[in-house]
Amino acid sequence: MVTVGSWTLLGISSLVLDDWNLAQLAQYMAYGIFAMGLAFIWGQAGLLSFGQAIFFGIGGYSVGLVALGHLPLLGSSTMCGFLLALLLPGCVSYALGRILFLGKGLSGAYFAIVTLCAAVVVETLAQQWSFIGGFNGLLGIPPLGAPWRTAVDGYLTPVEDYLFMLAVAVLVFLGLLGVVRSPIGTVLAAIRDNDQRTAFFGYDVSRFKVWAFVVSAVISGLAGGLFVTQFGFVAPSLIGFGLSTEVLIWVAVGGRNVLMAAFLGALLVRSVEGALSDRLGNFWLLALGVLFVVTVVLMPNGLFGRILALPPPRRFRDTRTAIKLKRGTKV
Amino acid sequence: MTFAVTLGLDTLSFMLALLLVTLGLVVIFGLMNVINMAHGEFFLIGAYCVVLIQKIGLSYWWALLLAPIVLIAVGLIVEELVIRHIYRRFIDSILATWGISLVLKQLIVIVFGATAQSVDSPIPGPVEILGVTYPAYRLFIMGVAIALSSAMFLLFYRTPIGLAVRGVIANRAMAASLGINTRRLDRATFAIGAGIAGVAGAVMAPIMSVDPQMGVGFLIPAFLSILVGGSGTLLGALTGTAVISSTSVLVSDVWTQVVAQVVVFTLSILVIRFFPRGITGRRS
Repeated sequence: MVTVGSWTLLGISSLVLDDWNLAQLAQYMAYGIFAMGLAFIWGQAGLLSFGQAIFFGIGGYSVGLVALGHLPLLGSSTMCGFLLALLLPGCVSYALGRILFLGKGLSGAYFAIVTLCAAVVVETLAQQWSFIGGFNGLLGIPPLGAPWRTAVDGYLTPVEDYLFMLAVAVLVFLGLLGVVRSPIGTVLAAIRDNDQRTAFFGYDVSRFKVWAFVVSAVISGLAGGLFVTQFGFVAPSLIGFGLSTEVLIWVAVGGRNVLMAAFLGALLVRSVEGALSDRLGNFWLLALGVLFVVTVVLMPNGLFGRILALPPPRRFRDTRTAIKLKRGTKV
Repeated sequence: MTFAVTLGLDTLSFMLALLLVTLGLVVIFGLMNVINMAHGEFFLIGAYCVVLIQKIGLSYWWALLLAPIVLIAVGLIVEELVIRHIYRRFIDSILATWGISLVLKQLIVIVFGATAQSVDSPIPGPVEILGVTYPAYRLFIMGVAIALSSAMFLLFYRTPIGLAVRGVIANRAMAASLGINTRRLDRATFAIGAGIAGVAGAVMAPIMSVDPQMGVGFLIPAFLSILVGGSGTLLGALTGTAVISSTSVLVSDVWTQVVAQVVVFTLSILVIRFFPRGITGRRS
């Protein structure tokens, strides 16, 4: 109920807010999608990734490079850019995931620290690589076009743009929710709670981890691509350690176990930051840090986690299924 | 020859400074199973103690006294307010201490400003050693680091307190049932670890540019040292810092600092992947 209500409220706000605020909110939507990607791998599969912005940045750079025509083979269509923004993070995360999880595999803290190091390395490389703009990044990336409009600057109006972002966010939400509530989601939750026991049940734990990592990377890449079309430029700060840790804060503050809570956490923190950071200056980051520590220590479910938690999937509620499972009959 | 000597001295001084940060981290990790992301900020606060002392106009040496006192206090406060609530929540400990590091860093920015501060070296001028001229102050750093880490090793392996600490690392419940006050031990260890990181910061301040980001610059190599060397033992920390610092100094001398960072991180990730228990740990 609350979940549907929140989405409706976000939809209604397109009628109420002025253009500037809508544009801001559309940007935060991209961050929100990013946060859902992280909440999926962290809250559901229990993998704490300190390098999620690597994929956000790759997505952003892909869209930017294609839109500016730096990759002549691919032309300069937005479609192509987004395809690359999904494909590239997927491939990178698959390779990284295979290296890290297959075989002996890494667990918990090691994964966090390795991803942290990877984020720092990638950011350093992005700053040095002149093809993608070095320190300055890529400027002048066009916003999303509206093919049905024949005018010279056929871009989406702020309201259309906002609604588009909202629609993508809803789709991502529903898609991830579908995975989370499916049997696959249950296996991921089991891996989170005790990966050894899950392995004893015959599940290939490392394969599940790799694919969860890929899904979350693809979502992050999509979010990065969308963000760049909203923001107009892409810089090394989008790919590095700083953003990776910021998104952790949003998700932790919102609620890591619930996708919707993570999404709203990103929206909330960014909106409050937009409203207050000018007035508070340095004290804003201080307050955010304190809020972060307090939520981690006292409220592991975050601010919204409890309100937005959904009831368990039907197959766990149906007692007859449970009895059948107990008897060992096929369901 | 002179190149080799300079390289060796550079490696040694970097390694010893890194060792001071790593030792605190290793003991806190081994004892409390807490990955302390705020350790870099303890180092940072130590460096800013020097800035403060210099602003007041006192001699540099007072900072070496002030830094451990301030940091032990900070360590006790942090332990009391946050760390003790999250002992059994491993992943949360990473997040919470990282939040603390944000808060401490931001406090430093508010008090001292975000720009880099320079600190005068208390022992200016070079000395002649093995045929090369080398800054005298760096030799002083090495001396301090050797003294402190030897003291740590002695404390850890030759005293009843060290025995108690090692006992708790090996089996907390057993140690507690034998009458060791683990709570007090945790608190003391955390404070001492913070204090040593503070001294390291104060000692390193004159040869680094002191700015609010310097903590992370030391934290990541320290973590890598622990993971590469093998967590849980001081010997692992020693090996790890040796590997990390020699690679990083060597590569940054031959190429650039950026290349060094990339090479060190990539190598460490590979080592961590293939030797999850570190290069000193036994293979499972």
